[in-house]
Amino acid sequence: MNTIKKETLPLESDRSATMRSNIKRYYIYVVLALIVIALSMVKLNEDGLFGRGSFLSLDSLINLLRSSVPILILSGPFTLLMISGYIDLSVGSAMSLSAVVFAWLILNGFGFLPAIIITLILGIVLGALNGLLVMRLRITPIIATLVTLNLFKGIALLIVPKGLSAIMSNGKQTMPAWINDFARKDVLLGLPWAFWLAIVVILALTIVQRKTILGKYAAAIGGNRLAAELSGIDAVKMVWLLYIIVGFFASLAGLARASYMSLGDPLSGDGMQLTCIIAVLLGGTAFSGGEGSVPKTIIGSLIIICVTIGLLTVIPAYWQDVAQGTVLIAAVVLNHLLVRERQTLKKT
Amino acid sequence: METKQVRKSLLAGKLSDESFITLFMVGVLVILFALACLFVPNFYLPQNMLNLVTNNWYLVVIGIGVTFVLITGNYDMSVGANIALTGVLSVYFCQAVAGSPNPLANGLGLPYLVAVALALLCAMGVGAINAFFIAKLKVPSIIVTLGTMILARGVAEVITQGAQRNTSLPDAFGLLGSWGIPGTSIRLSFLVMIVLLGLAFIFEKKTIFARRIYLIGANPEAARLSGINVDKYLTALYIFSGLLAGITGILMASEFKAGFSNSATGYEFDALVITLLGGVSIAGGFGSMLGMFVGAIILSVVTTSSTGLLLSPEWQFTLKGIITFLAIVAQRYALDRRKG
Amino acid sequence: MERTENVLEIRDLVKDFPGVRAVNNVSFDIKRNTIHCLVGENGAGKSTLIKILTGAYTRTSGRILLNGAEFSPHSTRDAKQKGISTLFQELNVVNQLTVEENLTLGMEDTTFGFLRKTDKINKIVSVMNSIEPSIKPKQLVSSLSVAKKQIVEIAKAVAAESNIIIMDEPTAALSESEIKRLFAIIKGLREKNVTVIYISHRLDEIFEIGDYVTVLRDGKHVDTKPLAQVQDRSELIKMMIGKTVFEQYMPRQGERPEAILQVKNLSNHRLNDISFDVHAGEIAGFYGLVGAGKTELARAIFGADLYEGEIIFKGKKFKAAPDKAIAAGITLVPEERRSQGLFTILPIRENVPVMNMAKVSNAGFINNTTERDVTIEYVEKLKIATNSIEKEAAKLSGGNQQKVVLSKCLFADSDLLMLDEPTRGIDVGAKSEIYSIIRQLSREGKTIIIFSSELSEVMNICDSIYLLYDGSLKATIQNGPDVNSENILHIVTGGA
Repeated sequence: MNTIKKETLPLESDRSATMRSNIKRYYIYVVLALIVIALSMVKLNEDGLFGRGSFLSLDSLINLLRSSVPILILSGPFTLLMISGYIDLSVGSAMSLSAVVFAWLILNGFGFLPAIIITLILGIVLGALNGLLVMRLRITPIIATLVTLNLFKGIALLIVPKGLSAIMSNGKQTMPAWINDFARKDVLLGLPWAFWLAIVVILALTIVQRKTILGKYAAAIGGNRLAAELSGIDAVKMVWLLYIIVGFFASLAGLARASYMSLGDPLSGDGMQLTCIIAVLLGGTAFSGGEGSVPKTIIGSLIIICVTIGLLTVIPAYWQDVAQGTVLIAAVVLNHLLVRERQTLKKT
Repeated sequence: METKQVRKSLLAGKLSDESFITLFMVGVLVILFALACLFVPNFYLPQNMLNLVTNNWYLVVIGIGVTFVLITGNYDMSVGANIALTGVLSVYFCQAVAGSPNPLANGLGLPYLVAVALALLCAMGVGAINAFFIAKLKVPSIIVTLGTMILARGVAEVITQGAQRNTSLPDAFGLLGSWGIPGTSIRLSFLVMIVLLGLAFIFEKKTIFARRIYLIGANPEAARLSGINVDKYLTALYIFSGLLAGITGILMASEFKAGFSNSATGYEFDALVITLLGGVSIAGGFGSMLGMFVGAIILSVVTTSSTGLLLSPEWQFTLKGIITFLAIVAQRYALDRRKG
Repeated sequence: MERTENVLEIRDLVKDFPGVRAVNNVSFDIKRNTIHCLVGENGAGKSTLIKILTGAYTRTSGRILLNGAEFSPHSTRDAKQKGISTLFQELNVVNQLTVEENLTLGMEDTTFGFLRKTDKINKIVSVMNSIEPSIKPKQLVSSLSVAKKQIVEIAKAVAAESNIIIMDEPTAALSESEIKRLFAIIKGLREKNVTVIYISHRLDEIFEIGDYVTVLRDGKHVDTKPLAQVQDRSELIKMMIGKTVFEQYMPRQGERPEAILQVKNLSNHRLNDISFDVHAGEIAGFYGLVGAGKTELARAIFGADLYEGEIIFKGKKFKAAPDKAIAAGITLVPEERRSQGLFTILPIRENVPVMNMAKVSNAGFINNTTERDVTIEYVEKLKIATNSIEKEAAKLSGGNQQKVVLSKCLFADSDLLMLDEPTRGIDVGAKSEIYSIIRQLSREGKTIIIFSSELSEVMNICDSIYLLYDGSLKATIQNGPDVNSENILHIVTGGA
């Protein structure tokens, strides 16, 4: 006998329904907490929980946050794009290319501010290109951005002179030491400009998602593009803008990375898109679009960072990929359960 | 008589969009080829011509699976990692048991053929995992296969501890990789490619199975309502794609007499490139083996020319990106203009 | 814009499609702030007329005056901006947004991109409150029932200051109490300076809610009058049917063969406990109007949807799924030919053999000659108008596309052929061709079930007629010279 899903109320008490919705809202914080606790336990030594060398020590936390600036910057814009139902797989390469360009500019005598401005303009151009392919030429987003992924990566590789692996100090030029300041120099609470800028970006994107028309239209387009267009929304323009925004912040992330490493590495952004995807999945954003949460994605990226850094110390390098793959599969399954749960809500 | 005439006229057909694009890309190939002959020194040498077809044998083999998957509107990004995994496993399975203090020299000691069979089973297993998440759980194929890509490579890295396994191998190990037609540079791998490609050509044009794949890609709902079990076909395709990657992995490992954890890096992208160059549309229901093969040759021409022009590897890589970019834009223009 | 007495004036409106005149010199007026009902059988021209009003189609000739001014919308958005909103059957709300966000979509006030809560916004939200206070602005639309989502759409149209809201079969998916609530809301719209054009087959509803009614038949305007002047259902029904001459139906001779299909207590989310038998070689017709459950029933029998209940086919209990159904000898011509029946980007030749590939192949290999011959055979047999079997299915006309789908099913050589809305949107010539094909199949011993919302079609060719209303089987009638079509319409529009 076939069973059917009746479109009627699920036979559960109100109490269990509330419990489930609470799980949905808070699971991610619980997961983060568990991971932090686990990591702190692992490296416990005689100095205690917050002492030297352990996970929660000041040094370790500062290091953690400093090195996670790029993902913190990118998570928000990436989420916004996904809410509209579109994806950009080229963010990693856009980031690398921007890192290379920025480092090149600094190496060749440009001032900090001009270098930033030029790099950010590059980001806008890269994003606009993606938007053109996807929205105007109507090429599937995955294919279009996979192609630009390779394109941007190639250009980045080309800029680096032969014989070097990155744009950095070499025989003829020296990378000025101050390139580091942005991403490393302590300005507040031990954390650098780049970190605080990332915080601002997170706050800004959260506000954009929740309180501005761009956020609303992104959700409308992702939820029901036809209804959105019938209401007068120009979906092509809106999503194009979102691609430009993603490109812009990918550039920002790239130059932060270049500043952090004091060089422009054309491979520095590799895998960033996958990290973003995992963060988005953990945060419970539906891949089909229409809904999502910037803060939850940020928590998701914090989880990834902790797991990655934590694992780095515990397991040998050659176990990294298995770990990352498992995290991805876990995130996929989690997301699957969450989104499906949302879609069988009680109707009133 | 009239019926015969009516019948004859009914058979005449305008070129389908798919054939049009294939022809278009053949035209592109011809132009590129001509340009190469003109500008690249020593391009028009018989050895070079042969190389054009033999160089990318591995891409064509996995391209067969990737093309079929693309036709249904899905992706398989795990093929490169699967190649590496299978290669590593084929080494590990037949390395001598516990003979050496070096852990990387100890394996399971199975006979070579058994090792090969087992490794191929694992390759198909990766495909089965893909199929489970994609067909059963309905997770987007791009995400699933990126995940299995990382996992498969991860397992390969664990087995080789990030490096490679190449010691205490049975003598039989290098046979497949070194065998070739005496007096030529044609190797077994190339012959395997030809055979598989030939079978794929026939399969694609003539079998019910292949026809149903196109139907699924063209309209999954209509396919279901026409009695096609979509889940079953997708599962078969992903397992098949895994098998092809496995075969490639075995051959490559045999050639190098080693299993590298970082082999076949980027092959999944290149496979995608040759299918895009060949006009396979991700919209589904559209694309052919011939197109993919044409795409592989275009790629060959580009890379050989780049080498001939003494371009750096970085330039070659970028050129590949530029060509793919131009190809998808041009195909979109051509199709739009055709529709008027 | 002067406030004329008539919000809409239609003069000599004509709409031609290749081979058929769908709207034939229709003229009538719609008075401002009334509820104006539009009735007529399928194919009467209602939906074509509406599509012209909303800009989805361009008229062939004639004039439309909206508020006294010439009106020629070139798109649905254009029509919407000029004040005509439509509530389609597929809801156009964004589920993931709140009620308030949906209401204000496209009409927001912003400062530097930030959404502001202005008087205009408050006014829009208050419209919702005045219409249905139990729907709170902060609720997610996904948590609302279908009925409430409809109300949100209505509120949105009112808030957007639409002059005219067109509602097409709005009660199809609603319960009794929800319908009551909806009617109260619709009646209240008149005070909000909105005119409602209400399309429905449910005649009781027409009487309950309508101020005026316009009857169309075969593309022509029959009459427009205040509902107060209409006596009863029968008068309306007579106008809808008119003097259409049904082709003489010939009752079957001889013994009635055994039942080939037995359905017992079939239920799912749209069907209620349906049981019936269909006898071998007969043509059965399921007749009902929109929302009656015809498509759901067809799909359930075919196995495309899940169900509870029992199906016995050729004496064997049967758990349906499309591939199993086809293997057992049941095929279905689906309701939506483009999205469900055809592979539009593929040529005719690749569409036809799909359900029975084994017959055009040897051992898994397709025999191209056989495939071509088979396709040509069906092209000729069904008179599919094409200059080549390589033509993409997308490029054929509606009638020819349907014939391709029909060929597909015929080629599967099934014992039971089901057709869901077999002649929807098809011109008269193709229609009668399809009917002859169906009759021929029946003579050859095949069993046919038709699911249709066109009465003349069902009365034309069916041996037994099953009447559906609101997911239930209401009556079974043997076709014959004394079948009362008024009575039938009475039942399928909800009468007892």
